[in-house]
Amino acid sequence: MLKRTRSMPRLLGLVTLALLGGALAAPKKVTGYGSLGITDGKPGGTYTLVLGDSPQSLNYYGVIDNNLGLIAQQLFDGLVEFNYATYKVEPALAESWTISPDGKVYTFKLRQGVKWSDGQTFDADDVVFTYDQIIMNPEARAGDAASFKLDGKQVDVKKVDANTVQFVLPRPSPAFLLQMRSFIMPKHKLLKFSQEGGAKPADINNAWPSNVAAAEVVGTGPFKLGSYTAGQKVTLVKNPNYWKVDGKGTKLPYLNGLDFLIIRDPQAQVAQFLAGNVDQLNISGAQFPDLKQREVSGAPFKVMRSTALFGSPPFVAYNFDAKDAALAKVFSDARFRRAMQSALNRPRIIDAVYNGLASLPGHGVAPVNKEWYTNTTKQLGTFDLKAAAAALDALGLRDTNGDGVREISRGKNLEFDLTYATDSSVYPAIATILQNDFGKIGVKVNLRGILAKNLLSTGQSGNWEMILHAFGDQPDPELRKPIWQPGGALYYWHRSLQPAKDGDRPNVARMAPWEKEIYTIFDDAATTTDRSKRKALYTRWQLLFAQNLPVTPIAKPENIGAISNKYGNYIYNLGVIPGYNPVPLIYQK
Amino acid sequence: MLTYTLRRILGMIPTLLVISAVCFAVIKLQPGSFTDQYLEDPRFTRETAAAISRQLGLDQPALVQYGRWLWGVVTRLDFGYSFLQNRPVVSVIGDLLGWTVFLSLITLLFSWLVAVPLGLYTAFNRHGWPASIANFLGYVGLAIPDFLAALLLVALVLQLGGTNVGGLFSPAYIDAPWSWAKVADLLGHLWIPVLALGLEGVAGLMRQMRASTLDVLTQDYIRTARAKGLPQHRVIWRHAVRNAINPLISLAGLSLPSLISGTIIVSIVLSLPTIGPLLYDSLLNKDQYTALTLLMLSAFLLLVGNLLADLALAWADPRVRYA
Repeated sequence: MLKRTRSMPRLLGLVTLALLGGALAAPKKVTGYGSLGITDGKPGGTYTLVLGDSPQSLNYYGVIDNNLGLIAQQLFDGLVEFNYATYKVEPALAESWTISPDGKVYTFKLRQGVKWSDGQTFDADDVVFTYDQIIMNPEARAGDAASFKLDGKQVDVKKVDANTVQFVLPRPSPAFLLQMRSFIMPKHKLLKFSQEGGAKPADINNAWPSNVAAAEVVGTGPFKLGSYTAGQKVTLVKNPNYWKVDGKGTKLPYLNGLDFLIIRDPQAQVAQFLAGNVDQLNISGAQFPDLKQREVSGAPFKVMRSTALFGSPPFVAYNFDAKDAALAKVFSDARFRRAMQSALNRPRIIDAVYNGLASLPGHGVAPVNKEWYTNTTKQLGTFDLKAAAAALDALGLRDTNGDGVREISRGKNLEFDLTYATDSSVYPAIATILQNDFGKIGVKVNLRGILAKNLLSTGQSGNWEMILHAFGDQPDPELRKPIWQPGGALYYWHRSLQPAKDGDRPNVARMAPWEKEIYTIFDDAATTTDRSKRKALYTRWQLLFAQNLPVTPIAKPENIGAISNKYGNYIYNLGVIPGYNPVPLIYQK
Repeated sequence: MLTYTLRRILGMIPTLLVISAVCFAVIKLQPGSFTDQYLEDPRFTRETAAAISRQLGLDQPALVQYGRWLWGVVTRLDFGYSFLQNRPVVSVIGDLLGWTVFLSLITLLFSWLVAVPLGLYTAFNRHGWPASIANFLGYVGLAIPDFLAALLLVALVLQLGGTNVGGLFSPAYIDAPWSWAKVADLLGHLWIPVLALGLEGVAGLMRQMRASTLDVLTQDYIRTARAKGLPQHRVIWRHAVRNAINPLISLAGLSLPSLISGTIIVSIVLSLPTIGPLLYDSLLNKDQYTALTLLMLSAFLLLVGNLLADLALAWADPRVRYA
């Protein structure tokens, strides 16, 4: 392309220059993070992090595995990524994009001159291959086929030219851009595992098992795979072809190597951090006082608190469809849920369970999310057992036989199970506080502990009465639609609204009026491209949420990270958030 | 002897079959399904769950799943696929087998080398204070769970300013080629798991050795040997120890399966690359063929250990041979 422009008449000299300029400016300059304490670093050094277990594979779309995700986000990039400070979407492998006025056609201009870590050129074929053959392949175990089907119709992805890719949507989808953070895979390495390359659709899952040769795993990310020692360590080395530079034009990443030690036990992780074998660690509120004290008394690390946007605020939910009809009726009553909220001692939970490292929650949106959050603090009310008791009295739930427990009907106590995860550092303590306080107003709660990994499947099975659970916050409410839209796949506290088949219309007739309104809000917001209209819709949703409490949020935990003093430019990152990877900026002092 | 061995080996086959059926049934009886663990991921839909179940053959009846697995084992020595890792179970286990065997053998050796002499010593010097101390330490070792001992050792090392707090190597040596420095680094890490795992076995073995030695010492042939004027060391090694060690040989055979299940918690606490955590994960996540294969391996080792112990006993004790 450049060659051809050069051979053109002088008249086009200016155009040539502009194009050349474009090609030279291909690397992305990472600047403007002074507010986060980011400075220009120097190249060199190795940085060591932990993995909670061995990665199950090296194929990001082959297994859903958090440990693989942590590695994959250092090896691969998406078309777009988040701004570290504002969480706004900005160019990554795509240099720019246009959206058609009807919101249905997204055209991405790819960054030129980007090379895979093995030196091959990255182009539109890789992008089309990744979306068409892997992400939209329903047999890929960690693909995302469902997100690329809107109203039952497939999103169409096509190559316009070597550096342009176009997505055509059956209907507008304002959060579509966020999905473009998905990691792009190398066609030249994975073609043989795809249908296009003659394999069966499910064969894509078998690509890159954990014992694959390191040279096979090729990406555009800041690092490439060095080696994997089973059960012990994953070694990544700098990708010299990475496409980002710092303010001075120094190539990123600064680090020469990035190591992941496989350490399962959280206490062992802290021990390795204290011993200096691990350089950065995300810790829980329970571990904070000890580490902070060591920092204050001169240990060579810092413990940083951050009110990050991501992270999972716990909530309690009551089963609207509880097997016991009397309980189901009470649980479906918003007045009951509001009454119980008054018996929810948020300050004590924040203080005792999180060591003060949490704040009041939002309703479906993190308070730090300036773009969408609506202040609902007032609706959280205050902890007031007397008011709670009075509200329950008003509902007719009184203790008539004097045994200290209210009756839900004649001769039957207001008594139910609270399902929570026993293998968690916070849930058991929260459950005990709830049980205690509820008991004081004559509501008998029995604790029912299960494994954290079974919480959601238990929730979805409907076999519970009250549950303590959490879902992660995301930058755009649209991304959490299956959770918060009544009838959604994860809206399990009112399961009878869910359609018989995924994607069908939920049982709107059974919805409470406020649920109907929220349902419409999510449907409208999903097709509205106008930002201020969406903002108004989601504001209304948060207020309805806070007022009617489909679930009762408890607290928004802060995120805490500990970092060795040897390194600069640390920005907290929660873990696997595609498109949010501040590691390239880290440098060894 | 040969026919005896052959008969024992053939006898293992029906036993293993029954064990595999029982293990598979127990795995299947666990509530929930393999795909439950992924529900929380926003990418995961019911269609994905159905696709995965189909790919893994989980939509078939349990009997068919078991039959296919068994057929694969019998005809091709194919122990199935690991659901979690998308590769054959055998290669997953193979990755970790070397370190597992190494660690188990070295801890077994350690506990024997400590326990047998201590047991003998306490048998011969029952009343001195060194014996009391040895007994006391033995009981402490028995009373402290191995993972707690590991945690205490790690805390101690940290307190003393050390950096070898878990794993088998320092981070830099893990993927380095073998060298003397790497061996030294390994030894610097190895003592924690060996102490933590080995100490628990010491007390039991030591008490066993002491009891059976005391038993033997009251026998007539010992008195005869002494009366003949044999020197003390011959009485001990030739007559007492050889007879006293028989029960320990049986114990050694039974300890073979601990290769797999013996190190689960310590391996998690000390981040050791052994099979224990793999068994734990596979059971927890319903990775059924990995779990089944590991349980079968454990059962097989138990049977083999028993056989070996019987053979060793026959070799060490003529009475067993001629009985």
